[in-house]
Amino acid sequence: MAQTRDDLDPALAVRILRLEAVVQGVAWGLVAGLLLFLATNVLVLKGGRIVGPHLSLLRQFFVGYQVTFVGSLIGFAYAFICGFAAGYLVSIVYNRVVRRRSNG
Amino acid sequence: MQRLVVIGAGPAGLTAAYEATRFGLDAVVLEKSDDVGGLARTADFKGFHFDMGGHRFFTKSGSVEKMWREVLGRKLLRRPRLSRIFYRGRFFQYPLRPGNALRGLGPWRAIAIVASWFKWQLFPYRTEDTFEQWVTNRFGRRLFRTFFQTYTEKVWGVPCSQLKAEWAAQRIKDLSLKTAVSNMFRRRRTTIKTLIEEFDYPVLGPGMMWKAVRDAIVDAGGTVELEREVLRIEHDGRVVSRIVTAHDGRPEEIEGTDFVSSMPITELVAKLDPPPPPGVLDAARALSYRDFLTVCLIVNRADLFPDNWIYVHDPRVKVGRIQNYRNWSPAMVPDPSKTGLGLEYFCTEGDALWRSTDEELVALAIREIAAIGLASAGDVAEGHVVRVPKAYPIYDSNYREHLDVLKTFLAEFANLQTIGRNGLHRYDNQDHAMLTAMLAVRNVALQEKNDVWGVNADPDYQEEVRLETALQRVFAKLDRFGFGVAVGAVAAAVLSLASLFPLIKGDPVMGHELALLAQYLPGYEASAIGMLRGLAYGLVGGFGVGWTFAVIRNAAALFSLAVIRRRVESRLLRRVFDYV
Repeated sequence: MAQTRDDLDPALAVRILRLEAVVQGVAWGLVAGLLLFLATNVLVLKGGRIVGPHLSLLRQFFVGYQVTFVGSLIGFAYAFICGFAAGYLVSIVYNRVVRRRSNG
Repeated sequence: MQRLVVIGAGPAGLTAAYEATRFGLDAVVLEKSDDVGGLARTADFKGFHFDMGGHRFFTKSGSVEKMWREVLGRKLLRRPRLSRIFYRGRFFQYPLRPGNALRGLGPWRAIAIVASWFKWQLFPYRTEDTFEQWVTNRFGRRLFRTFFQTYTEKVWGVPCSQLKAEWAAQRIKDLSLKTAVSNMFRRRRTTIKTLIEEFDYPVLGPGMMWKAVRDAIVDAGGTVELEREVLRIEHDGRVVSRIVTAHDGRPEEIEGTDFVSSMPITELVAKLDPPPPPGVLDAARALSYRDFLTVCLIVNRADLFPDNWIYVHDPRVKVGRIQNYRNWSPAMVPDPSKTGLGLEYFCTEGDALWRSTDEELVALAIREIAAIGLASAGDVAEGHVVRVPKAYPIYDSNYREHLDVLKTFLAEFANLQTIGRNGLHRYDNQDHAMLTAMLAVRNVALQEKNDVWGVNADPDYQEEVRLETALQRVFAKLDRFGFGVAVGAVAAAVLSLASLFPLIKGDPVMGHELALLAQYLPGYEASAIGMLRGLAYGLVGGFGVGWTFAVIRNAAALFSLAVIRRRVESRLLRRVFDYV
């Protein structure tokens, strides 16, 4: 009531978010895993003479991955692990930067 | 033996004495008037009962609820609530519903109100310093004038353009953003529904409760002395030693070990002997009150209207609220063919209305009840006037500063505490006043250190704090720079490691395929140089992506917060008169 229209709430607006590393890791992992799972299966359903020539290049990094349904499950697992690692690391780095900035 | 002397026999004072006797203390209550109940007393006129102000028994405090049930038992009724707004001969639903309001006002007024609403949505006040600005920005000028202005000004006696937003924020606690947003996310509670739709009420009004508490105090060995005006409070600067009261025109000394006062804090300070420093007395004089009087009418008709009370917004009459006590409890009216009404006039002690004679006030009430068409003048059998001084502490722009002076001064006394609405100069309800008394007595009996001034009567407080913390986490800002750096660092690490991988593995095909990334990242290749370039690309590109994401995310969070706040505030404002 006492705020102006532009002043939403200092307590909320000023507070800086801290990220939960594990939660972020799981979220990023699930998103990455699902993306690869869907991307693989879209190509599988589309079919054709050569299925997913570009996406299958990922097997260079994800050993055992291929553009098939079974491959999509393997890909999900790989992408989840990589996504988890990325989300986890982003959170750790972010929290450190924020802590350093707020202290300094 | 510890002896607690309590000043005032209102809800706070009587609760203090009641609790004290339960702890085995000797308790004596000193009351200036000839009846108990204070601001929550029930007047008795020819067998009809009139509740001064209308006191719903509703609390979130388990201790208060327990005491009510302990004292009243089955005499506490569960009553349905109906209260509407009366404006220009029509009833409008309360809490306000825009559709109902527009239908009731007729097509032309409805069109004007909608147009006004659009205008104020497009060109609102830039700042919201006053109650008028705040409501107008949400409902438009026309709806503000129709449903908010008149009643609020009747209650407080000042134009809405002078009512500070601070006042409303303090009184309408629910309108604070954090609580409002908390409520939005909180599971809908039955207590909220209860507050709006039904409440508990003693068979014969709140006075019944306070008379029963008085009896319980006396049964437990305490004393409740009526018509005992406090003349002075003697002290040595740190300890109060005795109170001198007027008894049958003669001064009488009342000794005690501990003292609790529910009398207006301004009067308490003025009665200290020796007197406090001039600065403290000035601060006390600067605090002010709003008063009201009720004209009680006995009407020779059984059913006038179904509401417990009606808010009268009509600017043609002075009456602010009309209570129908029969609908609070049928037992309030001894004759089923009649109705007991209370016409409430808000005023200031000493003004023209306050100084009017009882006959003039009864005549005014009869004229006004007839003018607004709720009963004809011929239906009114008799009338009676009850004046309620210092009913509402006023929160003006400097009151906090003055109150702090008094608080600091009174904190020096080791055995004196103030409680209740007027003792703390706080616009609390009956249950809050009782809770302050309970805590004050615990301080005396159990040597606890409860801060009566800081008491929050809401047991949901801790839950609210937790919710606020959670909300702060949800709506807190994502640090743009921090997130940019984090995403950039991880992207750089991924790209550089990916570039190294074919070199370590010694697989030229893999390196060739990875080099396809050069389509997007010019100059990139799977080599040691490429690794460095990948590192740079990852840092810069990742930073850009992270920074942009944080900006968009923060904007979305603030936008959703603004939408939620607006929605909740509008909902609360529709029942603003519960707080006014």
